[in-house]
Amino acid sequence: MRTGHFKEATGQLVALSDSRVVWFFVALLLAACVAAPFLLGNYQVTLMVSALIAVIGAVGLNMLTGTTGLISLGQAGFLAVGAYTNAILMMDYGWPVWLSLPAGGLVAALISILVGVPSLRLKGLYLAITTLAFAFIINHIILYAEPLTHGPNGIFVSGAKVLGVDLQRGKALYYLTLGTTVLVVLAALNIQRSRVGRAWMAIRDHDIAARVMGVDLVRYKLLAFMVSSFIVGIAGGLISLQIRFVNIDVFALILSIEALAIIILGGLGSIAGAVLGALFLSFLPEVIRLFFETFADSSSNFYTSYVYEIRGIAYGVVIVAFLRLKPEGLIGLWRDIRKYWSNWPLAY
Amino acid sequence: MDFLLLLISTGLVSGAAYGLIAMGFALIFKSTGVVNFAQGELVMLTAYISFTIYSTFELSFFPLMLVTIPISMLIGLVLERVFIRPMLGEPVFAIVMVTVGLAVILRGITIMIWGPDPFNFTAGLSTNVVYLGSIPFYPAQLYLIAALGVMTLLGWAFLRFTRMGIAMRAVAANETAALLVGISVSRIHAVAWMLSAAIASVAGVLFAANYKLAPDLWFQGLKSFPAVILGGMDSVIGSAMAGLIIGVIENLFQGYIGQGLREISGFIVIIIVLMVRPYGLFGSKDIERV
Repeated sequence: MRTGHFKEATGQLVALSDSRVVWFFVALLLAACVAAPFLLGNYQVTLMVSALIAVIGAVGLNMLTGTTGLISLGQAGFLAVGAYTNAILMMDYGWPVWLSLPAGGLVAALISILVGVPSLRLKGLYLAITTLAFAFIINHIILYAEPLTHGPNGIFVSGAKVLGVDLQRGKALYYLTLGTTVLVVLAALNIQRSRVGRAWMAIRDHDIAARVMGVDLVRYKLLAFMVSSFIVGIAGGLISLQIRFVNIDVFALILSIEALAIIILGGLGSIAGAVLGALFLSFLPEVIRLFFETFADSSSNFYTSYVYEIRGIAYGVVIVAFLRLKPEGLIGLWRDIRKYWSNWPLAY
Repeated sequence: MDFLLLLISTGLVSGAAYGLIAMGFALIFKSTGVVNFAQGELVMLTAYISFTIYSTFELSFFPLMLVTIPISMLIGLVLERVFIRPMLGEPVFAIVMVTVGLAVILRGITIMIWGPDPFNFTAGLSTNVVYLGSIPFYPAQLYLIAALGVMTLLGWAFLRFTRMGIAMRAVAANETAALLVGISVSRIHAVAWMLSAAIASVAGVLFAANYKLAPDLWFQGLKSFPAVILGGMDSVIGSAMAGLIIGVIENLFQGYIGQGLREISGFIVIIIVLMVRPYGLFGSKDIERV
């Protein structure tokens, strides 16, 4: 008698999932996502858009930090590049949004080569500090390159129309981000299962061994930077469409930390984890707000005056708690639950 | 010429602050192998605590420091025990991320307690200008530079001559071997955090006395990274010296090239140093690379 889970053909090995149940639930989730704007209010849809943008950014960072093992504290910089490129091309050069959005990703990818080159010699903490430095430098260049970026004044972003539909309005923006998210997640899943993804994982697990096996470190590290930054740049462009006003203050350091918090929370290296983490952290401020509104009547004033601090503390607590109690993240938690479910009543 | 001298002297002052903060970074990195991203927040928190003590008891500078430093060491010890110790044996990346989380927590708590408005904090120092040659100094500026000198000397003597300091160097050189010869590595880690917090408090109080006590004080921690990298991450004395260099470089950039470059000149130095000489000016050369 056969027991357990066997794969008998190579086709089954490369399939995204061989489980009908998984496909069924993914389809259900997608249908729910498509139907959501008709069922939810405007505010909830806006929230969903932010959450989806966070998903895109997290999947991008996850490629670099989770899959390739290159720690980046410079996400805010790449987001800023994407957002500014999109805003400048749209508003100052009159590009249509379907061109300027990918252009933002491309410019972010090109700039990431600059960051990537030092990374060829550096690992771990040193790389984290370099990317941090690059994010600062990018922010300051944006601040002082006034003729191009309008410096401290920021840029208003409006009129993102495709075929007469204003992409910055509720539902249209929602479907744009949803579509991009699905594309990005699919692309990431496929890259991770390909030669490139396996090379990245080899670099993460042991770079010297990877080099010995014939993985070209220079090429694959730079590729990781470029692909990741391309996705993050597109997330930046979407942010500029959503908030309608890009200013350098939007892209503060806390954003980089938030991004890292997301992928740690979700589980490093896992795309499903990145998605879960992004959704969790995006809705966390809302939960905190609801908590303050329901349980603390007098301190709602306290909440509004310290909203950033409270949010920061929540991120910090989430990072510390997960690293300490569940380093595999939400996805690890999910695996545990699944194991428990399928093995019950046995422990193993 | 006077302009240049002025730039260099004020550069040395801000550089002394970088140097002190960088010493704190290096001390923790040397003995635990962890970059403490919460160092700037430690500086900020201890400075605010010192401010509260100062405004309650109206102490003058030295008694104030005498009270502040032990409290800071206690904070350092508590942070190490609560946040870092349970992570022992986890990958370095995880521990560093804990310090990142710790940083945002400390920052949020500090701002929530003391509010977002800046304070004037003289730390009991007079504000009369003193002339050294033709260059005017505030006493707080001279105290800052002197503090760097004293701390460097103390740090050097501590690592060179005391039992604890030598043990700390042993742990830095090889943790397992240190453990085998009977050094309590976990105690060394705790001591490193305590001393680092003490240095942070000196840096915080004097920085606030020179500029302002504001909620963006934590940012000085990140701005001290160039000094840590230039000095070599595991070189305590080197970081202090590199702080001075970075301070002067920043001022020269600002004075001769442009205002905006002051903020990023340090980070440009980081990138150049990491590309050319990743172990810094004084660090040990065992940086991993492929």
